[in-house]
Amino acid sequence: MAKVLYIDYERCIGCRACVIGCEECSGHDHLSRMFVDELNPGETVAASPTPCMHCVTPACAESCPVQAIAIADDGTVLSASLEKCIGCKNCTYACPFGIPRVDDVKKVMYKCDMCYDRTSKGRPPMCASVCPTDTIRFVDEHEIKSEPPKEVQFKWDFGGTVIETRTVIGMPDTETNRYGFREGDGVQS
Amino acid sequence: MGHAQNKDYSQRDYDAIVRDGEELISTHCCFCGMQCGMNIRVNKEDKSVLGVEPRYDFPMNGGRLCPKGVSAYRQAEHVERLKHPLIRKNGKLEQATWDEAMDLIVSKIQEIQGKYGKDAFGIYSGSSMTNEKCYLMGKFARIGLGTKNIDYNGRYCMSSASVGFNQSIGIDRGSTNPWSDIKFADVLLIAGSNTAECHPLSMPYIWGARDRGAKLIVVDPRQTKTALVADVHLDIRPGTDVAIANGLLHVMIEEDLVDHDFIQNHTTGYEEVKELVKKYTPAHVSEITGVAVDKIITAARLFGQAKTGMTMFARGVEQHATGTDSVSNYVNLCLVTGKMGKKGSGVATFTGQGNGQGGREHGQKTDQLPGFRKITDPKAREYIAGVWGVDESEIPGPGLSAFEMLQALGKEIKGLLLICSNPIVSSPTVGDVGEYLKSLDFFVCMDFFLSESAELADVVLPSTVWIEDNGTMTNVEGRVLRVKGIDRTPGETKRDWKVICDIAERLGRGQYFQFNSPEDIFNELRVASKGGTADYYGITYEKLDKMQGVFWPCPTEESEGLPRLFEDLKFNFPDGKARILAFEHKGPNEKTSKEYPIILSTGRVVFHYLSGNQTRRIEALRNLCPDPYVEIHPNLAKKYNIEHGEPIKISSPRGSIELPARVTKITREDMVFVPYHWGKSLAINHLTNPALEPKSKIPEFKVCAVKLEKIASHAGEKHG
Ligand code: SF4
Ligand code: SF4
Ligand code: SF4
Repeated sequence: MAKVLYIDYERCIGCRACVIGCEECSGHDHLSRMFVDELNPGETVAASPTPCMHCVTPACAESCPVQAIAIADDGTVLSASLEKCIGCKNCTYACPFGIPRVDDVKKVMYKCDMCYDRTSKGRPPMCASVCPTDTIRFVDEHEIKSEPPKEVQFKWDFGGTVIETRTVIGMPDTETNRYGFREGDGVQS
Repeated sequence: MGHAQNKDYSQRDYDAIVRDGEELISTHCCFCGMQCGMNIRVNKEDKSVLGVEPRYDFPMNGGRLCPKGVSAYRQAEHVERLKHPLIRKNGKLEQATWDEAMDLIVSKIQEIQGKYGKDAFGIYSGSSMTNEKCYLMGKFARIGLGTKNIDYNGRYCMSSASVGFNQSIGIDRGSTNPWSDIKFADVLLIAGSNTAECHPLSMPYIWGARDRGAKLIVVDPRQTKTALVADVHLDIRPGTDVAIANGLLHVMIEEDLVDHDFIQNHTTGYEEVKELVKKYTPAHVSEITGVAVDKIITAARLFGQAKTGMTMFARGVEQHATGTDSVSNYVNLCLVTGKMGKKGSGVATFTGQGNGQGGREHGQKTDQLPGFRKITDPKAREYIAGVWGVDESEIPGPGLSAFEMLQALGKEIKGLLLICSNPIVSSPTVGDVGEYLKSLDFFVCMDFFLSESAELADVVLPSTVWIEDNGTMTNVEGRVLRVKGIDRTPGETKRDWKVICDIAERLGRGQYFQFNSPEDIFNELRVASKGGTADYYGITYEKLDKMQGVFWPCPTEESEGLPRLFEDLKFNFPDGKARILAFEHKGPNEKTSKEYPIILSTGRVVFHYLSGNQTRRIEALRNLCPDPYVEIHPNLAKKYNIEHGEPIKISSPRGSIELPARVTKITREDMVFVPYHWGKSLAINHLTNPALEPKSKIPEFKVCAVKLEKIASHAGEKHG
């Protein structure tokens, strides 16, 4: 069964262990491919990680003039092939999630490839391995999409174009706690 | 083989990847009391350290690591590592040989002790080191040097929890329960702990409980990452923990949410507490703490109605002039509701230092001998004298506690050995501490980086890093575990235990320090702890390997240790009953005033460890959090016309520093928060109050009174 990343925003503490861990993957040249953003700085400490969303129909791969972005058998959207990539940055503009980056010196695109060298051997990617809070988990794709533990999202509407991602996002519970989305009024004095 | 509970932990069913030409050394993180397991990737040929690989099978963390853990290995090959002994010559630290350094150390010890008496040479030790080293330091002080003055930095860390636990339940193990029990609690009350940032690897357990529907109550002045997801956040004014706990007790008693059978059969003191908390009505407590009345009532109901539950706390509760009262008062919550001695019920304190637990068990505390024995107890003295092969009279009595010792430098104490600690960043009134250190006749320091304290030393000895260490540590749960090092000593570094034994030899006390390995030391420690509260006698290196760690007490070779304490509901007092103790709210030692109207609280961030001597040098961590800042609520910032990012001057009666403002709603309006991991002009401890908790001698780091000023060059630029 194909496994994907499940990300439960609510659990993220913004510690960036995933970012540092990403550098530890042997295919990553000590260059992290993970992004962590503060959701509402000054209001709350909520943060969220963004790895590649591994789209079912990846715009990056489709936009690549030289077909440098391969899709593995299990659906993982891989980083650009070193031999093929010409560093044109098309993929960086095409991706609706802003994931691919281009190394300007080496003129090659790099992005999260789910630690393909690890996942292809049945181990979770480094971010999911190290994330201390279980924010990022490596789970069965079918299971998480059909029987999610909480409200999840894996279909995104970009102005009428719906993109399905293999990475699944667990939505925060804003009813029982303010998390990062409701206007916070800070703590009382 | 392993504890039955291990299956409930968060380990995962993968094996580690080994790359060509590499071997994996399975060890534990050097930071914080979680003691996460990890594999270090080592080049087989030259033994160089290459990286980290998750160790999925260690129960506690199952491969997960926080940013400090992931990058910890980067210290090993760090360019700033000390590789040679240094001796101060003409005011400068210069490279020297081991012989020169050792000769100087020994002659200075002899000179100082000859002139001023044995106690004039002190040891300021640490708790981020192995049990073996901690034990050795305690023995070396008493028998090698014959000084009563040894204490350690754990005094700043968990000493209030230690006293609080002892007075309430009669034993000081950081957690009464295995960590996996957190998952089975129906309610968790976490006080004064930003668990998410300071002990991130506890979060899978807390989420485990939440996934089962457990309620989370967080007591903290800031809306930390832990408080953010709580059902109830009791955002108390710093220093009012005793009051909030009294308020919760009041509601639970009033609404009859207490466990009368448990109270009757297994505790004493309930009536007194019942009487005392009568006046702590929610309205009154709300006035003291600043927490809304309905939140106090909701929290009390959530806690009181739950079948199982745990209270957990950390330095936010302990580093106060009333720290021990607060600890016991939070323990009271579990005692009156019968939440003790079963799966999912108990109390715990989050261990700050790597070996905060083991470090306080083996006799490097000035008032203790190994196995948590009191140094003033004639029986304990006699027993340990027997283990050490000395006459009981040779063991000195109790000396000065950590901060008192620093204050005595240059006075009663003329010479100091500092190991594995950086008091010039971590103590209150650090400006004065610098002066105390400078007034020493002789100051020797053992470390692997030149810390701010080491910069002042007369001799600096280069230690190995933790990856090169072999021995045991005791984690937050009371689980003793093995750390296994790479067999190497880069440059002229030496292992601390060998250096200490060597000094003892040169002082003519070598006969008591005939150890050939950490295991030798551990075996003596086992005997020394036998029959004590922290009984390690039944723990062997072999058993540790087989069982993924063993919980103390483990009194016999057959025993497999005790993950959960008090299942028989017999507490560690002669009558077997826990003590429900009554405390009035007194508040912090230093109150705000007209001149100093704002409360300052200090603490950690996820990216740094203690004085930052290690983590500030790791580039990845430094980049994520390069400098300290003042966290300030927008309304307070507005009052002072301060903008986000603008530098401000913050002063207490003891000193002032300048830091940029971080305007954020996560903190209360009547306080500011500053992380403490930086030294010199960035050390917030220039400001903190050295007032000590009378019983635990912990300084009141969490509250002092300060004033804020806009820095002149920026003043007047903005109006309104
Ligand atoms: S490691 Fe986990 S908790 Fe930390 S920033 Fe990444 S996703 Fe968030
Ligand atoms: S940067 Fe490389 S991967 Fe991206 S579109 Fe251009 S060629 Fe393709
Ligand atoms: S600092 Fe603590 S939580 Fe972080 S990896 Fe190390 S032991 Fe684990």
